[in-house]
Amino acid sequence: MADGFTPKILVLATEKCAYPGADAVGKAHLEYPSEVFILRVLSPVLFPEDYYLRAYSKGIDGIIIASCGSDCPYHGAYERLAKRIDDLTIHMKDGGLEIERMRLTAICTVCIKAFLKEIAEMEENLIKLGPVDRALAEKLRQESRQRLEFSGRYGLTGNAATAERVAL
Amino acid sequence: MSDNTHSTGQPGKEDHEEAVLKDDAEYRQQHETLKRQQAEDRERAGVPPEPKVGVYICRCGGNISDVVDVERVAQVVGMVPGVTVSKVHTFMCSDPGQHTISNDILEQGLDRVVVASCSPFLHEQTFRGAVSRGNLNPYLYEHVNIREQGSWAHKHDPEGATKLAIQMITAAVGKLHNAQPLELIKLPNHRKALVIGGGIAGMKAAAELAARGIQVILVENSERLGGRLNDLGRIYPSETLAGDLVNDLVRQVRNNPKIDILLNSKVTAVDGFIGNFKTVIEGPFGPGGGFDKRDIVVGAIIMATGYRPYVPRDGEFLYRQDRCVVTTPEYIQMMQSMDPKAKHLEYNGRTIRSVAFLHCVGSRQLDGIHEPQPDGTLNTYCSRTCCSTILHQAVALRKRFPQVQVYDFHRDIRTYGRGEEEYYTEASKAGVVFFRYNGEEPLQVERTPGASARQSNSRKQGPITITVKDMLTWGEEIAVPVDMVVLGVGMMPSHIEDLVESIKLPTGEDHFLQEVHPKLRPVEVSVNGVLIAGTAQAPMNIQETLNAAGAAAVKAAAMFAHEMVELNPFVASVDASLCCGEGLCVTQCDYEGALQLVEKEVDGQMVQRAEVNAGLCVGCGACVAVCPHRAMELNGWRLDQFEAMVDGLMAETPHADCEPQLVNLG
Repeated sequence: MADGFTPKILVLATEKCAYPGADAVGKAHLEYPSEVFILRVLSPVLFPEDYYLRAYSKGIDGIIIASCGSDCPYHGAYERLAKRIDDLTIHMKDGGLEIERMRLTAICTVCIKAFLKEIAEMEENLIKLGPVDRALAEKLRQESRQRLEFSGRYGLTGNAATAERVAL
Repeated sequence: MSDNTHSTGQPGKEDHEEAVLKDDAEYRQQHETLKRQQAEDRERAGVPPEPKVGVYICRCGGNISDVVDVERVAQVVGMVPGVTVSKVHTFMCSDPGQHTISNDILEQGLDRVVVASCSPFLHEQTFRGAVSRGNLNPYLYEHVNIREQGSWAHKHDPEGATKLAIQMITAAVGKLHNAQPLELIKLPNHRKALVIGGGIAGMKAAAELAARGIQVILVENSERLGGRLNDLGRIYPSETLAGDLVNDLVRQVRNNPKIDILLNSKVTAVDGFIGNFKTVIEGPFGPGGGFDKRDIVVGAIIMATGYRPYVPRDGEFLYRQDRCVVTTPEYIQMMQSMDPKAKHLEYNGRTIRSVAFLHCVGSRQLDGIHEPQPDGTLNTYCSRTCCSTILHQAVALRKRFPQVQVYDFHRDIRTYGRGEEEYYTEASKAGVVFFRYNGEEPLQVERTPGASARQSNSRKQGPITITVKDMLTWGEEIAVPVDMVVLGVGMMPSHIEDLVESIKLPTGEDHFLQEVHPKLRPVEVSVNGVLIAGTAQAPMNIQETLNAAGAAAVKAAAMFAHEMVELNPFVASVDASLCCGEGLCVTQCDYEGALQLVEKEVDGQMVQRAEVNAGLCVGCGACVAVCPHRAMELNGWRLDQFEAMVDGLMAETPHADCEPQLVNLG
């Protein structure tokens, strides 16, 4: 890279599937860039939108949510996660933050190729996009917090809250 | 990495000593000043003193240190706020390695520990143990993976791997700043097991449990024990009678004072958690055998609900259109009920002179070739038992009626078990004719042109013709007229949708029950205290079913060895001071009773507050994301911890090839 930009990628990897999947890559002595940070999570359904946006605001250029997909051990968690990421990307798009920076995927315990492919694709996308706009991400994070607080007041979740707020 | 002289994989003498941080007076001094300032700031702000973190970096005998400059890592992370001790060891998991941790906790008053070594799946528990031995709560521990996801994955980028190790450790230290001590959740254990299904899997599991002194309730929804085995004759590869096996198991469970057998009964509701499942069983328990309900509390549940054979659609391979197209279970029934002295094979008024066996009916279905089930899914899996069943039956048929011609149509033959491949050899010797076709070019089963179904028995040609593009003759198209077609049907899971819903059991794409891990935890499901035995999990033969049932029983028995059930502390918790009782979290919880709004008195007023039942919470965290006040957190995996990790990763860290700077966690 001429400008020396190395994208920083955060991988949120589920304990049951994707984290052992990432281990399998190392066990096979296959390599990927060292600016890929893998954090172990029980289920990424845990994270509110503002968590991801905060990560961007801190300089994370791209996030891969490496879930268990339909093998998720928690009832209904994957469906909720998918819905939440849908909502997040809508808000990112509306706010002008490139949605290619967010990727929801499923990686199994032996999905070595899939893991490497996801990293390579994200890397490629991010090199095209350049570093994340941290100030914009911070602005979106604050909006997302407001949306969440609003949802608390009116007992709404997700996009329903947004729609309702616009209507008001 | 020019100064990295130890990286030989051959640990030198100094490797067993703690790494001495490089004597760099300037960094040290800066570091000390910063720490002192921070401590003073904290005191002024009334914040409790900074934690004392011990960081231990493992060389893994060169596995890590050949790539990662571990001494450099120790030096740099030693400057991260809060880190009191940072050491390198050749094998952290060794006794001396573990001892270093517990010793330092006791001697230096550490209150947080990080070990950077291999994957947490190998040694997280080991080091939690070492932390406990230092009288520190084992959940004030973080594990950093710098081998599988470090040195091994970045072998050709030692600088990158070193930097990554520093960042990941810094992140872990950040996570620990917000860590809280956690205790295992302890609940009373009801030493009684519920086995659902009275087939061989259920009976075997019940017998094994009873032999270990555990009370068992065995629930079977039909009027007799034995399940699918009641319909079988001789079984492969032992050639014994299925009935003998069933009788043997029935003898073991019947009249056993430890086993309560409930026939014609059904489990209609399950509530609760490991050690404490409240179940409702419906059956003829009323006066005079009348229908009634019973509430039974059990500690463990074994799902031995078995399978149902695939039932072909009307017209699939002429099924239900020709009176001599049958499935394997129907065929076995027919052979069972036949007069043992019969000289000719006859079925539904037709003399059978030739039989075709078809493999993979309802299994290994291909998109675009096979019609999906009513719910839109294809049975893409292999049912594993049909090949051996067909060959076993084909050999038996040739022996019983040598005049009957037997054809075998397969895509592949998978006689995978011990003693099963022999049936293939035997079938070939016995004159069974094999045809092999490509799944993309399926065979056709049609009425023989010009043949009437009511044709007299004197005809020469069979009324059914199978047309196949045979790969064994290099793609020749062959039409085979036969009198009877036997469809080698696969296995599908029993209709246990209600139980799956009630217990929240995970199922795979194939709708069979799904284990936690196919190799490491093969009979457990993600719901603690529920085990799977046999074909409820996947197609299995009798041997595999009995193995699985034995394993499930022993696993349950091991659980009952404790008076209390110990549960992982990673469950949701509510910060009552932040909760406003809006209840958004409750709408996100799929586990009944795990999260509820309850009336509470706060400052003399009755208000609603969220409350977690730790025994029912599985720790998915679905509730955490929606709380506007961050009142809901997942213990051990708090959002502020994940935020601190990102901060740690992005902190300005000194790089192996640039001027070291101080780490500022912000």
